[in-house]
Amino acid sequence: MHDVAIRVRGLRMAYGPVQVLNGVDLDLRRGEVFTLLGPNGAGKTTLVEILEGFRTGWSGEVEVLGENPARAGDAWRARLGVVMQSWRDHPRWRVRDLLAHVAAHYDDPHDVDELLATLGLTDAARNRAGVLSGGQRRRLDVALGIVGRPDVLFLDEPTTGFDPEARREFHLLIERLAGEDGLTVLLTTHDLAEAERLSGRIAVLVAGRVVTCGSPAELAHAVQAPSLVRWADGELETADPSGVAWDLHQRYGGPVPGLEIRRPTLEESYLDLIEEARGTRETAAVGGAR
Amino acid sequence: MNATILGLRRGWTEQLNIWSDRKELLNGLAGTVGTYVVLILFIGGNNVPGTPVSMAAFMTPGFLAFAVFSTGLMGLPMLIAADREEGTLMRARTLPGGIRVYLTGRAVTTLLTIALNAALVLLAAVPLAGVAAPPTPGRWLTLVWVLVLGTLAVVPIGAAIGTLVSGPKAAAAMLALPAMLLMLISGVMFPLEMMPGVVRGIAQVFPLYWQGLGLRAVFLPDSVLAAELGNSRPLGRAAAVLGAWAVGGIVLAPWLLRRVRGR
Repeated sequence: MHDVAIRVRGLRMAYGPVQVLNGVDLDLRRGEVFTLLGPNGAGKTTLVEILEGFRTGWSGEVEVLGENPARAGDAWRARLGVVMQSWRDHPRWRVRDLLAHVAAHYDDPHDVDELLATLGLTDAARNRAGVLSGGQRRRLDVALGIVGRPDVLFLDEPTTGFDPEARREFHLLIERLAGEDGLTVLLTTHDLAEAERLSGRIAVLVAGRVVTCGSPAELAHAVQAPSLVRWADGELETADPSGVAWDLHQRYGGPVPGLEIRRPTLEESYLDLIEEARGTRETAAVGGAR
Repeated sequence: MNATILGLRRGWTEQLNIWSDRKELLNGLAGTVGTYVVLILFIGGNNVPGTPVSMAAFMTPGFLAFAVFSTGLMGLPMLIAADREEGTLMRARTLPGGIRVYLTGRAVTTLLTIALNAALVLLAAVPLAGVAAPPTPGRWLTLVWVLVLGTLAVVPIGAAIGTLVSGPKAAAAMLALPAMLLMLISGVMFPLEMMPGVVRGIAQVFPLYWQGLGLRAVFLPDSVLAAELGNSRPLGRAAAVLGAWAVGGIVLAPWLLRRVRGR
């Protein structure tokens, strides 16, 4: 049990009549980087905010570091690092002042100047938080999230609005942090490539339900959509395009006129999966209404 | 670190950040001190009708009260609403003991702002309105309890209002007009004697009138008692009204704050 960082069973949450989470199960081991992948509105942020202890009114079982987030106290909170979406807080504070102030809330924080150097913020240390570029601001948010040496770090859509270079730098940083022993990272994103690049395991959340969970390779396999085989006289969707092509060769007794095989990219497969899951949910909703 | 000490340090850093922003500093001061100086220069020369005391001297305690009142019930809610909008309050919630540290910090900035505004009003009052230091130890004591109770009467309520409104603009829109109206009807600029009965009744519900009355008892001679309702200054009743607001705020504010946190 002690190597489980986060355990969720049958988590449900509704905002009024809208069901946001529909029975979510999750297990995060200590020290893993886990990505919650899903389209906008899938319930990612709600789920993370429940785990962080900022939302009440849910039902089910939730344990983060062995405690119920809705009731846990300051000692528990001191073991979490939180990086929320699009933070603009403390705009008048200088970067170093703010980091030192936040550090002072913890018993054994990181050295402020070392952390600034690690995150490439040394040159911006005297700047006010409100004038930082998007990438700098996000790195400051991460610094504020990890300065207390958390056991669990929550990153909610950390790279939204990043240019490709800033995004790459950010990924390197997360990999470096995850290398430190014991730090569990739960990251949300709607970017499949980011999830693939960063994490040990990915859970796909669609319409408030985990539709698949596993390593990027397992995910690719699970979500693999059928390929399209097209030739002069017809077309066919199949899971085995090579076999179909072989049959066609046999039938034509030679080259197949206009043969074309399209394998879906992982991204297309993922989009298919989302469509499918949404379809099921709507059917279920209609069924439930009867 | 101890949350109280950390909160005190936070408040001091916040105040330095505000003071180092010249525009913000000037905005903050222009409100109360600026209005006071302008009014004194334009209408301060006349005497309060039926008394030997100048309007300038009469207005000084009122503006001192208004400095406390407006910082607690306008400045503080706007700052908290801005903190909420920017996510500063949310950040505090992510930190162990963060809300306590945050509220202590806001209390520090509010008290420093009240002290600065009050000091500037008094500093301007000495040359412009001929106001002198309280003449007896008893009046000094009155000055202290009126300022302390007046502050306690508005700061907890102000903090609660700040967490309830959606943003600083909403706070300004909601609070500016009532505050100005209260300033007009609470004997800050004109003696309450001049007001119709209903208005007198409304003014006496709010802490601004009673704090002004208490401060007039500190700075003005008895020769202006003619300008007071019933020709007297019931300090006991002032203490009771201010105390009721203070207790109400101290009880209500944490309850309101918890409700907002639960959302």
